Amino acid sequence: MTDTLSGSTQTPKLEILNLKKSFGALAATNDVSLTVRAGEIHGLIGPNGAGKTTLISQISGELIPDSGQIFLDGVDITRLPAYERAAVGLARSFQISQLYNDLTVEDNVAMAVQAQTNKRFNFWREARKDPSLREPARRALDQVGLLDRAGLRVSELAHGEKRQLELAIALSLKASVLLLDEPMAGLGAEESRLMKNFLQDLKGKYAILLVEHDMDIVFALADRVTVLVYGTPIFTGTPAEVRENEAVRDAYLGRED
Amino acid sequence: MAMLVEQIMNGLQYSALLFLLAAGLTLILGIMNVVNLAHGSFYMIGAFCAAAAVSSTGSFLVAVLAAVVGAGLYGLIVERLIISRLYHRDHLDQVLATLGVLMFTNALVTVVFGRNPPFVAIPSFLSGSIQIMPGLNYPIMRLAFIAAGVLVAVGLWFLIIKTRVGMLVRAGADDSEMVDALGINIRRLFMLVFTIGAFLCGFAGVMAAPLLAVEIGMGEKMLITTLVVIVVGGVGSVRGALLGSLLVGMTDAFGRAYIPIWMSQLLPPQYSDSVSSSIVSASIYILMAIVLLVRPRGLIPAQR
Amino acid sequence: MNRKNFVVGLIFVILLLVPTLADAVSNSFLINTATRFVIYALAAVSLDLVLGYGAMISFGHAAFFGIGGYVVAIMAHHMDMGETIFGWAGTNSAVIVWILAMVFAAFIGLIMGFLSLRTTGLQFIMITLAFAQMLYFVLVGLVMYGGDDGLSITSRNVLPFVDISNNRTFYYVCLAILIFWVWLCRRIVKSPFGMVLRGFKENERRNINLGYAPLRYKLSAFVFSAAGTGLAGALWANYALYASPDMAAWLKSGEFMAMIILGGMGTIFGPVLGTAVYLGLEQLLTGWTENWMLFLGPVLILVVLFSKRGLFGWLAGGKSHD
Repeated sequence: MTDTLSGSTQTPKLEILNLKKSFGALAATNDVSLTVRAGEIHGLIGPNGAGKTTLISQISGELIPDSGQIFLDGVDITRLPAYERAAVGLARSFQISQLYNDLTVEDNVAMAVQAQTNKRFNFWREARKDPSLREPARRALDQVGLLDRAGLRVSELAHGEKRQLELAIALSLKASVLLLDEPMAGLGAEESRLMKNFLQDLKGKYAILLVEHDMDIVFALADRVTVLVYGTPIFTGTPAEVRENEAVRDAYLGRED
Repeated sequence: MAMLVEQIMNGLQYSALLFLLAAGLTLILGIMNVVNLAHGSFYMIGAFCAAAAVSSTGSFLVAVLAAVVGAGLYGLIVERLIISRLYHRDHLDQVLATLGVLMFTNALVTVVFGRNPPFVAIPSFLSGSIQIMPGLNYPIMRLAFIAAGVLVAVGLWFLIIKTRVGMLVRAGADDSEMVDALGINIRRLFMLVFTIGAFLCGFAGVMAAPLLAVEIGMGEKMLITTLVVIVVGGVGSVRGALLGSLLVGMTDAFGRAYIPIWMSQLLPPQYSDSVSSSIVSASIYILMAIVLLVRPRGLIPAQR
Repeated sequence: MNRKNFVVGLIFVILLLVPTLADAVSNSFLINTATRFVIYALAAVSLDLVLGYGAMISFGHAAFFGIGGYVVAIMAHHMDMGETIFGWAGTNSAVIVWILAMVFAAFIGLIMGFLSLRTTGLQFIMITLAFAQMLYFVLVGLVMYGGDDGLSITSRNVLPFVDISNNRTFYYVCLAILIFWVWLCRRIVKSPFGMVLRGFKENERRNINLGYAPLRYKLSAFVFSAAGTGLAGALWANYALYASPDMAAWLKSGEFMAMIILGGMGTIFGPVLGTAVYLGLEQLLTGWTENWMLFLGPVLILVVLFSKRGLFGWLAGGKSHD
């Protein structure tokens, strides 16, 4: 695996070092190392079953790697419990939207806002009427264009709106590192275009690890791309370099001898 | 020494009873992901059908048939009407609905058979004792129970290892895509598994009838102990049910035999009796609590 | 005033008028029935916090009911006998004894919850059930306190200013406690803490993703609901002048669950209605047949299969759910 971009002297926001994870005989993550710098979008692509979501789950803490390390701002968070990762600045969005289905759209974002405050253990106030929770939630919804749907229950939303909500929640966590797992999953052409513009606007503001299936999107947005095949990283480089690389082409297209 | 062997035999007999109940319940939970609180009710139905059959025909073999068919049929009806609607529901719904079945079945059995059915005598061909070692005569009925347990264990092993149904069981047949690909109707598979579970309960009921009290509420006691067995052994695996049955059965038998002795040596008499009976009753729960805290999924759970 | 508030208001007006009604029809048994109902409702509402909002299926709550009952009964027993408890002369004061019952139940709830919440799913159900059964067997083993037969007491605890040995007064006291507890629980479920709890029920994975640590929230709810159930047990012992190990049996937990589901889970008000339905059915049907479970069983099944929102959901309409 070659990283052809010359390294800067700054500590990367997110660093993964020799990560390994196996399920029985299946090596889902096979010696993966990569970095994500502040302000950079680092794309993660690979054919189905490549282990992209498994990798994300290890960074977010839902899975514990068998070996290897994960560093956030230089601090080892490999074994940090999942529920403590939001507090250190890591936000993860899910490939299949994980929302509170019976609560309203605004409630969903307010839950993320509330998590940042010291009000979480408050038994007394009425959460839905607390402006310090509701205002930021509404602002986040406005940012993604969902403000007019604020009062609806999640179960009443269209698929595309759920993906927008998924993103709004991630952004409300005041994170410095975003792990976005296929934010475009299931979106139509127009919705994808809007989402792409939105992600473009995020560039420079966060360190983003973006998993996506649509390669055009990834090449348009990412500064660097890592290609994962059967859990093994086969190349890391700029989008142009990835396109030219023979190993990558073989992996996606198969060798024609 | 003879006492030790006797306790081991008692433990094995109780384990056999538990295994008959636990094997079905663990498969139902493991494959169908259904918590079935009515499982003990099938056992009770088996016992009551057996009692009725014995009092009207005098034949134990007819009683066996009546018990197995009665419990199996009832199980099938419950599965079709109620359980089949619970497959995609969460555990709470299943707990409450099967609790309703449990309550209903208790009332139904009271109405049909009366509160206290006739006593089921040990059939003549299983009565008496034989000498299994010098100084120890052991009742044949209990040996027959142990034999029945072994038979069922072997039969289940055969079913699971050697048949297509068994293959699905081992693969964890909750993956409906895979199951459909093999051309199996998953609903029919569930129905089959549930009914087999009910049959086993019925069989346990008729075997237990001569040895234990046949009464309303006998199902609840066995249900809880059975749940303890599968939680200890590990949900979804018949081997886990076997291990759990042996552990729980032995713990209970040895506890019953030795704890009162130890307590009477440690405590003054006015306390030792009641303390020991509490500890004996609580012993299997203490076992379960310890296992769960060390291995939350049980000792040998099915691999998922 | 929306439909939900109307239904709730109506329930409480009816409850307030029960003694008056009882006089009107010259049936003093009505007050007894209503008192039983209020006490059970207190337990059901407490369990709903954990079951309906936190999605913890606890079969262990009967243990707290039993603990509350036995704290009262044992205290009263020692005073009747003129004996001391570890050197303390004991007290008949309701305030002290009832609070002691709640504290004790909360403490056991802390232990039980801490150990049980290491597991999930069926294992959680079983371990809470195991704890309840262990307590049941301990109570049965307490021969000096009646063992299997239970423990009778001669008189109720004493409150300042009100004489609760009078059934009417006692009923009003229990009702006041229920109203207070329902109000308290409603405040909690609407609070940020309550939202987090509901988050665990709605989508635990997401809750963790946002940074909410499961144990501290679930355990807090568990301990609080244990206290409420313990208080119900203490009131029960006062009502019946009797405590028995059955109070801690796992089927008692099942009864509480049935009350919750019949009325509507996850609403706090629902369990109040559900308790009424459960006890009402029991009262009605035992008049006809000893085997009233023959009808309750199917009712429970039907409610679970077809109408999760229960009676409260049906009456109060679509917005009954929080």
